[in-house]
Amino acid sequence: MKNRFLFELGLEEIPADMIKPAAEQLRAAVGALLQDNALERESLEVFGAPRRLAFLIEGIADRQADREELILGPPKSVAFDAHGVAAPPALGFARKMGVPADQLKLVPTDRGEYVGVRRLLEGKRTTDILKEGLPRIIASISWPKNMYWQESRFRFVRPIRWLVALWNDEVIPVEFEGLTAGSTTRGHRFLGNSDVQLSSAQDYVARLREQFVLVDVDERAAKIKRELEQELPAGCRMVDDPDLLEQVAYLNEYPSVLLGGFNPEFLKIPQEILITVMRHHQKYFAVVGGDEALKPHFLTVLNTSGDPVGQIRLGHEKVLRARLEDAAFFWATDQKSRLEDRRPMLDSVLFQEKLGSYGAKTERVRQICGSLSKDESLERAALLSKCDLVTDMVREFPELQGVMGGLYARGEGEPESVWKAIYEHYKPVSLEDSSPGTENGALLSIADKIDTVVGCFGIGIIPSGSSDPFALRRQAQGIVKVLFDRRLDGLTLATLIDAAAANHKPTRPVEDVRRDVLDFLQARVRFVLQEQGIAVDALNAVMAVGVDSVHKTYRKAAALAEIRHEADFEALAIAFKRIKNILAKQEIGVDRVTESDLEHSSEKELFAVFAKLRPQVLEELQADDYGSALRRIATLRNPVDRFFDGVMVLTEDSRLRNNRLRLLFEISQLFLMIADISEIQESGDRGNREEAGA
Amino acid sequence: MSTQQLTFQEIVHRLLGFWMDYGCVVQQPYDLEVGAGTMHPETFLRVLGPQPYKVAYVQPSRRPTDGRYGENPNRLYKHSQLQVILKPAPDDIQDVYLESLKAIGIPLELHDLRFEEDNWESPTLGAWGIGWQVLLDGLEITQFTYFQQAGGQDLMPISGEITYGLERIATFVTAKNSVYDLRWSPEISYGDVRQREEREFSKYSFEVADKRMLFELFGLYEKECLRCLEADCVLPAYDYCLRCSHTFNLLDSRGAISVTERVGLIGRVRNLAVRVASSYVNNHEE
Repeated sequence: MKNRFLFELGLEEIPADMIKPAAEQLRAAVGALLQDNALERESLEVFGAPRRLAFLIEGIADRQADREELILGPPKSVAFDAHGVAAPPALGFARKMGVPADQLKLVPTDRGEYVGVRRLLEGKRTTDILKEGLPRIIASISWPKNMYWQESRFRFVRPIRWLVALWNDEVIPVEFEGLTAGSTTRGHRFLGNSDVQLSSAQDYVARLREQFVLVDVDERAAKIKRELEQELPAGCRMVDDPDLLEQVAYLNEYPSVLLGGFNPEFLKIPQEILITVMRHHQKYFAVVGGDEALKPHFLTVLNTSGDPVGQIRLGHEKVLRARLEDAAFFWATDQKSRLEDRRPMLDSVLFQEKLGSYGAKTERVRQICGSLSKDESLERAALLSKCDLVTDMVREFPELQGVMGGLYARGEGEPESVWKAIYEHYKPVSLEDSSPGTENGALLSIADKIDTVVGCFGIGIIPSGSSDPFALRRQAQGIVKVLFDRRLDGLTLATLIDAAAANHKPTRPVEDVRRDVLDFLQARVRFVLQEQGIAVDALNAVMAVGVDSVHKTYRKAAALAEIRHEADFEALAIAFKRIKNILAKQEIGVDRVTESDLEHSSEKELFAVFAKLRPQVLEELQADDYGSALRRIATLRNPVDRFFDGVMVLTEDSRLRNNRLRLLFEISQLFLMIADISEIQESGDRGNREEAGA
Repeated sequence: MSTQQLTFQEIVHRLLGFWMDYGCVVQQPYDLEVGAGTMHPETFLRVLGPQPYKVAYVQPSRRPTDGRYGENPNRLYKHSQLQVILKPAPDDIQDVYLESLKAIGIPLELHDLRFEEDNWESPTLGAWGIGWQVLLDGLEITQFTYFQQAGGQDLMPISGEITYGLERIATFVTAKNSVYDLRWSPEISYGDVRQREEREFSKYSFEVADKRMLFELFGLYEKECLRCLEADCVLPAYDYCLRCSHTFNLLDSRGAISVTERVGLIGRVRNLAVRVASSYVNNHEE
């Protein structure tokens, strides 16, 4: 089991963000090939770098184990005659199998004894399995975007230029797309050789390291991290950017870190802009001092071993200077017009063909804001919120939308309640991103997003599957996240939808739009709250009675999740299902319980307990104390059980029946103020709820 | 001669010389206003159909919205692209390209060069390709593309397109801070040759151009293009398609196009380009 196998697929530069997913696919496919062929290995390492995907298998046998195979022939009853001598069917089988008749064995099976032959199957050679399997594996790697490069019309991420396949020190001539694997790989484009001979599979990583290619991404990332630390000026730290770190680790074959600087004069520009310029265009890491203020430095990751004559640093600094000059130019010229004066220009910037311009959107968002808050500064923020779309800076750096509007508004002397709201109104841009830190920012963010969602649903742009051109799922999730994070209990989903729908002229019936948007938002509520760790059944139970405010839903569900496995509560849940089932099939002929019509002691007791408990529960709900309310409701368990033991609800006497139904109805109404607890699954009884409900 | 003393014309000359030695037809710039070397018929039409071809040329490329009145050290109304088409793209096309950089005296082992994903696309030409931008010490000096489609036609064989930004490369190798400081020839600077043109064309395209006339011209050019196609005059039709494209660019820089109109106008130019490409291929096959 001491064999090694190396395979390398040599390519022109693969886009950095596609390497890792491809390497993962390669690992899975090779693992599956070995498993399907019953080949054990000690290890399987996969490598992904800009110009190559590779894997190294260690400790693999040179062939599959031999297997014994049992082949069944005719049943014993026809195989032998009365004297136990092989009859023609058995003889024919033996001939077909190429064995003498006396080697036939009797094999017991479910259907009785059969004649059989044991045959030795020789294991295939591992190299044959690999040679045959690898072309299929390469072709199976899927990429976000493919290309043609030769007449064969094979499509792949970039042209494949070489193959290496080594079984220990022996070349396995794997063939693929006109190439035949050899033992020649390629080093770094400028620091290494274009032809690098590998003497064995074992050599791979070390040999390429000598040739300035670090094939292992972990090694590249570690080198980058180490050097970033080394190059940092004293007392400074890097602005954290894990995405960028991963990107540069996949972008360079032999990364090394270089510290550069820029003219401190540029620090007059807000640092949000500087950081974006460095990251967006140049993939540079920004540097801050102990006081968190940006320093006139940057760290860049090179695709080479260093900067021998200092020219690289000069080059990068010059490029950055040109970029920063552009940014400084935009910063200066943008401020020559006031944001407010840009507003008419929004009338000619299209938001969506049927939903009109950004000017129209601004007006709608302002209306929504007006209905959400009496604070005039919120309307002011809404009015200015989209004006930065027609600034040069945002045209050049679209990801600075909102931020620029906020900065320009601040420069124009708008109060914090206005400029900060504009600054943060696109937040949160993802589930990981934080919600706006100010009340106005939160409301503006919600108003902007609900307008988009309701507007799009109104004209039939509804996300389905992978098609979601306006990123409505993200927008809806943003709304829900802000409502949750900022505990905006006063804002119900229905209020929001109504506020937005008031300004739209949908092409579908408005009631359909409302219902669809509500469903859509509720699906996001479910998702966001599940992310908070709320058990699914508790969430279902609470959401089944409707979502008014997101955070209230969360608090109810959390309280429910906490007590749902207590014995009284589980029993009550079962009783509630029973109540629900009974009520579902019955008309109730009265609108209140008549005490004098209560006959049996158990119904009198239930009525008395319930009458006492009801106002207390309502008080607790009012006080937002869902835990106590649920615990109190759980005390109904015994009276309810006794009620069902003591009376027949559906009795012939309609007076008694209606009275009992009414009592159950009132109890169920109280439950439903918190949750439909029939959704609760009993402990240890997951997936079995149909039965429990019967 | 140290590379820092190279003149602009010497750099152009060396690059063209490199590709001439490689076996390319060295062509002249196209004599119409275009936004990029790709629009030259020697690229747009030659990449169509099966015939192999190798060509190199300089194409002055006008981008009205990039005009900066001759004041920005890096941005120009009109810059020069050196365009190379290798059809089919040879297996070692990246290596040949890197050799060409050495020909203008860039010692690659002393620099930081990489190929970063950048897939070129031209909605007006119905063309796209897969490739990279080539970054030299962080500066984009070349767009490198494997053409996949032009004029809406799938391409086979696949052409390799190399587009050098000549002003950028020249300011880089001569370590100048402004394009206007480049020496065009030993005696004459880039600014001497071109700055007035930058100033006047920036002013024209941002402030002066007659919007109504341009809209009219767009319509007239479009009509003439379609008439040429009817008469099987594919190359003249393509000229009118290019005129539409440049007229559109001028309208854009003049701020005369709303976002909605923009989509419509791009669609109209693209329609012309697609019909030209399809006629070009069909006429060849006859």
